[in-house]
Amino acid sequence: MKLRILLADDHEIVRRGLCALLQKREGWEVCGEASDGREAVEMAKKLKPDVVIVDIGMPSLNGLDATRQLMQHDPQFKVIVLTITDSDQVIREALDAGARGFVLKSDAARDLVSAVEALQSKRMFFTPRVNDLVLAGFLDKGHVVTRNEAPNLPTLTVREREITQLLAEGKSSKEVASMLNLSTKTVETHRSNIMRKLSLHSIRDLVVYAIKNNIIQIQMPAQLHSAPETTVA
Amino acid sequence: MSHQRTEHFMAVRILLVDDHPIVRQGLRTLLQGRGDWQVVGEASDGIEAVEKVESLQPDVVVLDVTMPRMNGLEACRLIHQKQKNKNKDSGLEVLFVTQHDSPQMMREALDAGARGYVVKSNAARDLLEAVESVSQHKVFTALARSPQASS
Repeated sequence: MKLRILLADDHEIVRRGLCALLQKREGWEVCGEASDGREAVEMAKKLKPDVVIVDIGMPSLNGLDATRQLMQHDPQFKVIVLTITDSDQVIREALDAGARGFVLKSDAARDLVSAVEALQSKRMFFTPRVNDLVLAGFLDKGHVVTRNEAPNLPTLTVREREITQLLAEGKSSKEVASMLNLSTKTVETHRSNIMRKLSLHSIRDLVVYAIKNNIIQIQMPAQLHSAPETTVA
Repeated sequence: MSHQRTEHFMAVRILLVDDHPIVRQGLRTLLQGRGDWQVVGEASDGIEAVEKVESLQPDVVVLDVTMPRMNGLEACRLIHQKQKNKNKDSGLEVLFVTQHDSPQMMREALDAGARGYVVKSNAARDLLEAVESVSQHKVFTALARSPQASS
């Protein structure tokens, strides 16, 4: 029986590369491709793949929140998160969301097959950086501190995070309502709750919060002339 | 050895330059759709790109902007400078495939001597047409925000 993999990345060129890489393995098939987190969640529920590979930085619903939604729907989902950075915060978010694999995009050609194999064997796969962080967490505190356990951080629900991303991407409450099949009034209520929980006073504040917390990602051209590329897309 | 082409259906020899292997693989997969084109090599930064242009003499260099060691803009300038110093027209053209969906960056790329500019998010849509155009020495530019490419 074939190992069925669902790919989610907003760049077709990356999906093509990932497909080519994964389908070289006999017995593996890419059963679906999604271009944002929302599509990934829908397709995963429908296709029930053995492994889901999600990029973190996707429009509409980012990969971390897509992972959260998948795990909430069925904790048996095996998710590998693809990321451009292995910062402590992103690692914690990925672990917290329920990802069982964590692969840097720049290393995907080298690590992704190993990551899928690991999950197939009911193991986890993380980059050395994640292993170090997890170990440090155990040594320092006896367990890994996740985002939800960190003190004084407001916790948004999955739905609130989803709405935060859409609002931060510039969508109106009406547009968000339409996308999520909610009433505009319900979205407005969520929006008020989000602003209150986070002590924010404007959409500008919300956008800054979303960027700082990896809910949305932005491109910074001014840095890219001299620094190594930090995003694949 | 010259690879100048007078007929658009003649083979186009392509060098792929991007620091992410998975992106190079994606580009290669796309380009394989054209049986008469050949990916003659790959490079992962600007310095390697300049070296491989010298050794492989491709017709088209598909070049990323932001890479370690030497970025694509500098590599593009250097590639053209070297061609100029040799005092010969090899017919080589540079096509940028980049994440930067920015008119300013596109202007900079064209100023550096590129013939084409495609945004990575739309590469699957635009790449083949862009390579086709620049290999015939026609300008091809397409930002993601623009519904249609101009060539």
